[in-house]
Amino acid sequence: MSERGGFEALDACVHCGFCLQACPTFLATGDEADSPRGRIELMRALEAGELTPDDAAVVVHLDRCLGCRGCEPVCPSGVGYGRGIEAARALLATKRRPAPLARAALWALTTPGPSRIAYTLARALRATGIPSRLAGWGRFRFAMGMLAATKPSDGRTLGRPDGKRRQPPSDSPTVRQSVALFRGCVMDGLFSHVHDATVRTLEVNGYAVREVPGQVCCGALHAHAGLREEARRLARANVAAFGDGDEPIVVNSAGCGAMLKEYGHLVAEARFATRVRDVTELLAARGPRPGAPVDAQVAYDPPCHLLHAQRIADEPYRVLAAIPVLRVVSLPDAAQCCGSAGLFTLLEPAMSRAVLAPKLASLRTASPQVVATGNPGCLMQLGAGLAAGGLRATARHPVELLDESYRAAGYYA
Amino acid sequence: MITAGLVEGLAGIVGARHVRTAPAERVTYARDGLPTHRRVPAVVVLPGSRDEVIAVVRLLATHGVPVVPRGAGTGLSGGALADASAVLLVLTRLNRILGIDPTNRIALVEPGVVNARLSVAAAPHGLYYAPDPSSQTACTVGGNVAENAGGPHCLKYGVTAQHVLALEVVLGDGRVVELGSPGGEPWGPDLVGLFVGSEGNFGIATRIAVRLLPLPRAVRTLLADFMSLRTAGEAVSAVIASGIVPAALEMMDQSCVRAVEDSVYAAGYPRDAAAVLLVELDGGSDAAVTADAETIQRVLQEHGARSTRTAADSRERERLWQGRKKAFGAMGRLSRDLVVQDAVVPRSTLPDVLETIARIAATYQLTVSNVFHAGDGNLHPNISFDGRVPGLKARVDTASAEIMEACIAVGGTITGEHGVGLDKLRYMPLIFDAESLTAMRAVRRVWDPEERVNPGKVVPVHACREWSGAAKPRAIGPGSAERDRLGAADPGAVPRGSWEDVPA
Repeated sequence: MSERGGFEALDACVHCGFCLQACPTFLATGDEADSPRGRIELMRALEAGELTPDDAAVVVHLDRCLGCRGCEPVCPSGVGYGRGIEAARALLATKRRPAPLARAALWALTTPGPSRIAYTLARALRATGIPSRLAGWGRFRFAMGMLAATKPSDGRTLGRPDGKRRQPPSDSPTVRQSVALFRGCVMDGLFSHVHDATVRTLEVNGYAVREVPGQVCCGALHAHAGLREEARRLARANVAAFGDGDEPIVVNSAGCGAMLKEYGHLVAEARFATRVRDVTELLAARGPRPGAPVDAQVAYDPPCHLLHAQRIADEPYRVLAAIPVLRVVSLPDAAQCCGSAGLFTLLEPAMSRAVLAPKLASLRTASPQVVATGNPGCLMQLGAGLAAGGLRATARHPVELLDESYRAAGYYA
Repeated sequence: MITAGLVEGLAGIVGARHVRTAPAERVTYARDGLPTHRRVPAVVVLPGSRDEVIAVVRLLATHGVPVVPRGAGTGLSGGALADASAVLLVLTRLNRILGIDPTNRIALVEPGVVNARLSVAAAPHGLYYAPDPSSQTACTVGGNVAENAGGPHCLKYGVTAQHVLALEVVLGDGRVVELGSPGGEPWGPDLVGLFVGSEGNFGIATRIAVRLLPLPRAVRTLLADFMSLRTAGEAVSAVIASGIVPAALEMMDQSCVRAVEDSVYAAGYPRDAAAVLLVELDGGSDAAVTADAETIQRVLQEHGARSTRTAADSRERERLWQGRKKAFGAMGRLSRDLVVQDAVVPRSTLPDVLETIARIAATYQLTVSNVFHAGDGNLHPNISFDGRVPGLKARVDTASAEIMEACIAVGGTITGEHGVGLDKLRYMPLIFDAESLTAMRAVRRVWDPEERVNPGKVVPVHACREWSGAAKPRAIGPGSAERDRLGAADPGAVPRGSWEDVPA
């Protein structure tokens, strides 16, 4: 951690304003205080002591930042906005306790013991089918929609397989490259089917996936809430669990991947970060192997923490391109945040829905059968939004689609 | 006076959540794209409709409170800043494209529409909005109208004024007037022409009808690099002398090229070149444009280009342009503070002026990067500095003034497209005498008799006698005695613009 705690990443801002239109909250309110440039002004004043961390207006506008980092890839001067906002939030956290809802959510979702119970209950509730019937707008019904969106597919989302049997991958290398799977908290609790798909699709492409005991939550939600010490504690635990080998660490949650890649800043552990790979990076490096045709239309919606934070743009498209016949449509505002942003959707529901609205509108126009996105928060947010908006599409992880295509191809027979 | 009652009244019009009074919120509006100027507004109001704008201006008029319009705040002259006596009227929420008429090639927009979004909306009709300031992905059409914005392609297609057909304007007293006509030429004086570029001094445009142009059928973009600034400057004149009017003719020096190449907008400009030229040719047929491009390529080679290359496809063209357009924003890579200047010189003097600027930079030990509209002779020297170093800002100001004086000395002027705003008030007396300045004020008072819309900008209003003697006005004006009288005639009741701003 640097002497100025991350604020130095903001020094390069020359106030040009080229970030404004890349900011979902500025687009929603038109207010400079809700823009990256305006927030940088606030953060600089915080660091200089001209504004205090308990200033209500400072708190409102910094809390309203999604942390999507959509401003970073458009910044000509390379301002490290993400590092700045984490530094500012850490400063805010010295003057206040996190919102009770945030605390409760962090406890229930990321603490090893309690989270197991929470996820078990959630899965039981999910299995009743009640959440999907209750899905809608409003805080409670949207949360139900989010839970319903975590349900594994029944395998019939996509077009029917063509019935042809394909050869199992006999040309796989005899020495498979070993990779370690990062399981995370929400991914493990509610999206274990995505982990299963990740393991299967990687194996078809010549990887051997190893389970790593002792790993914990990545700490992204804590860092975003300004709880840096807790984030550091988790980071150290993960660094210890994954050891100091060379094997790649595969992640299928964009938010976790972005966080793991930033452990260098958080706990000065640069080598760990270089091992972290998004699942689509590993798959794209091998092609990936084509599966069976699937006759469906998919809108790919890049998670902010994949596109902006990790700058991974093409690989997910290459994964989808391995599915013959599948039609991938691009939406004009796909690169914009969906409003999920970790706990943001729970803590700032009004802004979250305002950010989601334009995306839902363009999805309505494009009317795909599937919206593909590689992050648990985005899957839940988009799934809940699609259900509430009465759209027929479902939200799925790209590897789930590849997995279905591989299954139809008979690779798992 | 700004009273609690007034704030309540404003909230009654636009809704409480669109009125900003907290210091932290107002601070975020204290700067525009030229952050060396800083003014914290008393109140910020964000109306959501034209009717709300009108109601707000009327309410402020009854309270006698000054109002400053602001779009995206990407201006580069401190023009959209309001001080503690004024209300800042932010127009970003008025961002609707009200209609596109492809047959007559007209778009009707609200002032908060972002420049680039208008072209995106017009593209399905094969049309676009031609003026393309470098900030076009962020700046608003309303701000473009206020500043009479230019851009690389204005060399061939003209600046904003050539593309605005009609305006609906709210005057300072709340009256609404319509200027021009979207259907054709209005009779009478060209009031649209007068309003465009008035820097928010004449009123607030609430609806803007602009001309759209058909997308060019053929485009070629050339990149040429040079081993000296002088050669590059001479090549600019040679291109113009060839008789072909390029769509754009831009120059970047080495310092600028390197900043861009270090950024996400890296375009493949050669880092070792002293300067690069970006030349675009466009037209109705591929054959004609190709022939023009070949001619220009030959001219560039004959005038010292080390190498030239043509963008292979639209993707490469886009990359070449993005590098140029984001260059200003990449200056933060050089130092944490930045002043960008804007001056116009006769094209033929470019090689000399560029050398003079380099000499001034050396004298004051400053980093100056040049990125500019070479075809128009419109210079943008960017001075990078660290405002925390004691005394450095003063040196930057002195160097800026010397650059400006050098431009004026060769027959140039103090702004090409960024406007006067606050930043160039101090240069106005260098090119205008007291009588001219007084005349400008008189024109402004026709629109805004109480000078309540964007007060203290453009025309320096305090005692004109301060200028006499020190200034060498180019325009022919009255003698100093009369200048004194004119200056004394109006003590300037409005808040005066002072340029001794706090460093960033």
